[in-house]
Amino acid sequence: MRSLGTVLKKLTKKGNIGLIASVALLTVVMSLAYPNFLTLFNIEITAMGFIQEALMALGMTLVIISGGIDLSVAAVLPFTAIIVGLLLKTSLGVWPSIAIALGVAVLIGFINALMINKLRVFPFIATLATATMLRGVALVITEGATISGFPTAFYEIGHGRVYGIPVPVIIFLVLAVLFALLLKNHSYFQQVYFVGGNAKAAQLSGIKVNRLRYVIYGISAFMAGLAGIITASQYVSASTGFGLNSDMRVITSVIIGGASLSGGKGSIGGTIWGVIFLAIISNAFVQSGAPTYWQDVVYGGMLLAAVFLEEYLRARGRKAKMKSWREFLTSG
Amino acid sequence: MVASVLKIKGISKSFGVHKVLHDIDLEIAKGEVHALIGENGAGKSTLMKIIGGIHRPDTGSIEVDGESVAFSNPQAAMAKGISLVHQELSLVPNLSIAQNVFSQREPTNWLGFVKWDELHKRTRELMERLGVDIDPATMVAELSVGIRQLVEIAKALSMDAKILVLDEPTSALSEKEVETLYRIVDDLKAAGVSIIFISHKLPEVFRISDRISVLRDGRMIGTVKAEDTDTDEIIHMMVGRSIEEMYPPRASSVGETVLSVEGLSRGDELSDLSFELKKGEILGFAGLVGSGRTETARAIFGADPVDAGTITLHGRTVKFKSALDAINHGVCYLTEDRKDLGLFLTKNVRTNIVSSSLKKFASQLGLLQHSGIEDTAKYYVQHVKLRPADDKPLVMNLSGGNQQKALLAKWLCADPQVLIVDEPTRGVDVGAKTEIHSHLRQLANSGVGVIVISSELPEILGLCDRVAVFNEGRITAVLDGEGTTQEDVMKYATM
Repeated sequence: MRSLGTVLKKLTKKGNIGLIASVALLTVVMSLAYPNFLTLFNIEITAMGFIQEALMALGMTLVIISGGIDLSVAAVLPFTAIIVGLLLKTSLGVWPSIAIALGVAVLIGFINALMINKLRVFPFIATLATATMLRGVALVITEGATISGFPTAFYEIGHGRVYGIPVPVIIFLVLAVLFALLLKNHSYFQQVYFVGGNAKAAQLSGIKVNRLRYVIYGISAFMAGLAGIITASQYVSASTGFGLNSDMRVITSVIIGGASLSGGKGSIGGTIWGVIFLAIISNAFVQSGAPTYWQDVVYGGMLLAAVFLEEYLRARGRKAKMKSWREFLTSG
Repeated sequence: MVASVLKIKGISKSFGVHKVLHDIDLEIAKGEVHALIGENGAGKSTLMKIIGGIHRPDTGSIEVDGESVAFSNPQAAMAKGISLVHQELSLVPNLSIAQNVFSQREPTNWLGFVKWDELHKRTRELMERLGVDIDPATMVAELSVGIRQLVEIAKALSMDAKILVLDEPTSALSEKEVETLYRIVDDLKAAGVSIIFISHKLPEVFRISDRISVLRDGRMIGTVKAEDTDTDEIIHMMVGRSIEEMYPPRASSVGETVLSVEGLSRGDELSDLSFELKKGEILGFAGLVGSGRTETARAIFGADPVDAGTITLHGRTVKFKSALDAINHGVCYLTEDRKDLGLFLTKNVRTNIVSSSLKKFASQLGLLQHSGIEDTAKYYVQHVKLRPADDKPLVMNLSGGNQQKALLAKWLCADPQVLIVDEPTRGVDVGAKTEIHSHLRQLANSGVGVIVISSELPEILGLCDRVAVFNEGRITAVLDGEGTTQEDVMKYATM
């Protein structure tokens, strides 16, 4: 029979307990203050408002665990939306257009990895450069205009329902389960932790670090592309203004979810809780009618709080270790 | 003679124009513990990296079990049963023991998903073989350095290693853990595993090895049976000369009190510590790890706060608010952690030497005068006999002994009145060690008060005029360096 204490200890070790408790607390407070908070309607609106960030956060989790960062996602999103928008104007058909647009997104991810691998550019710089250039190229292509007028079949992706559940939500759920399973249990994806935890040792133990980086940044860009296609379908248009600042919200939710920017740490479960947390806060602004300008101030504060908490816990852990070390020595 | 599992012939290796290995021959017998020793920079690590498939030799051949091999990567070497346990551990802290041990070789189903039950079972068996009963799902981050080392060894065993290379395995271990390691080495040997053991510590080399090979300046000086030789001969082989006067003569006279500490206390780490340091003497701090030696030094230096106690420097009570404050008062502390806390590894020697005394080189406007910096740096490079005798290489490219000398030069440059050195010769070869000792003595003779913190009792007793013995945050005795035995010190350190 396990005592409550050991169960609690195990739970806190999982790391997300503080986050989950915060989400629970927020939910209770919000549903008491605003009776329509827990209605299906509100939940769906909130979920759909955050579906892009949620999708990108899945890919970003891999990137951050591997010790990198991908600042290009917020630019890949509108870029892919524009590509798919232009292709839909041709006689190519809906599905080939989507496939090509996603292929372009993955290619951008490969270029990120190529810069990091071959030119030894830091991920931050490489993906920042990609983001800046993509936004420029997007403006050149569209001359700043919005592209619109898509076939109905494309409209269905953002607005269709299966068993009453919006298609984007279903796409996210399927991918989330897949990502979580792979990252936790698949030997290939376990390598992501090794690369992030100790890149040199990973190389020495036979991990093809460079090849893995193509996969990781490719996936991250794919997810951003998917978000772009869904956005284009939701708005039935494509604009260079899509996804503005979404990169910071994505990174914030991954970090709040327990990943560390120094790599080797993080989980899909944590990231999803992080996204939910941000989504609830965003909804709190909507419900309360508070000026939404403050939203980013709160997000930034939350990010700071999460990092601070992690640092605090780590320092406490180190102290506890020092103590047991000393006891071990003196018991000798 | 037992058959050789590993036969190396005529291995040479250059990095750029620098030839680090010259025509090395080495044979390792089945089931033997073979120590490989030499000064820092003698080429031990390079040789082991060649054996482990990390580097490729320029010339020469390697045979494993009579079969000629050429490794293109570490996996190829592992496939032939050669495993390296690195000095810098190669584990990933946020993964479990099992994940680390079977990294890249996890038992999986046909879809590549990990079979956790089997993974944990096999890891548990391996750890039990090493005498450790531990949950394989435990995160490596939660383990002590000693257990981590065992995880590394378990990893090697899981690959059916025939030849295990241990690179300075005991440098971060406690006494008790070292004993465990010795026992494991004996067990592995009995099971027919050959072990190449790299170490700086001669007593342990004699304790566990069957044969000893000595490298010097990239050349193989010779291989001897441990039972047929002694420390003096080995040291002679290592440095190419015999070291008769290991320690410089002690202080002939000491002056007035430079530093006095009274009633220093903090929590349960330091309780009511008092001692005096006189001009021209070397005072040793002896004691076990965690007995309060480093904590005392950091408290004096102003790096950590204290609850109570007074520090008097030249008759005036001082309380340093920060390290900078202490340095400005002439109190310097040479850290035990030279890589993380002492040196700027990616900067050159010159920058490091002047880094704590930049004020000296500033004009009235605060601009640095580079000619002065260059001259000073060159002077100290000569003075501490840095090799290469150049102030331009990056510190990260120097050997351990030379890094330590650079660190010493940095603090000499700051004109200290009190210099506290923490483990000044850890990981440093015999030759450089003697030089560092004589620098410390010269410094004391020039009127500086020197405090030496060291875990090596022979060093403390050979070098210091007086020895303060620490035990659980107290000073239990202050002994004369001359005439005191190691047993005396240990008695006060463990009572």
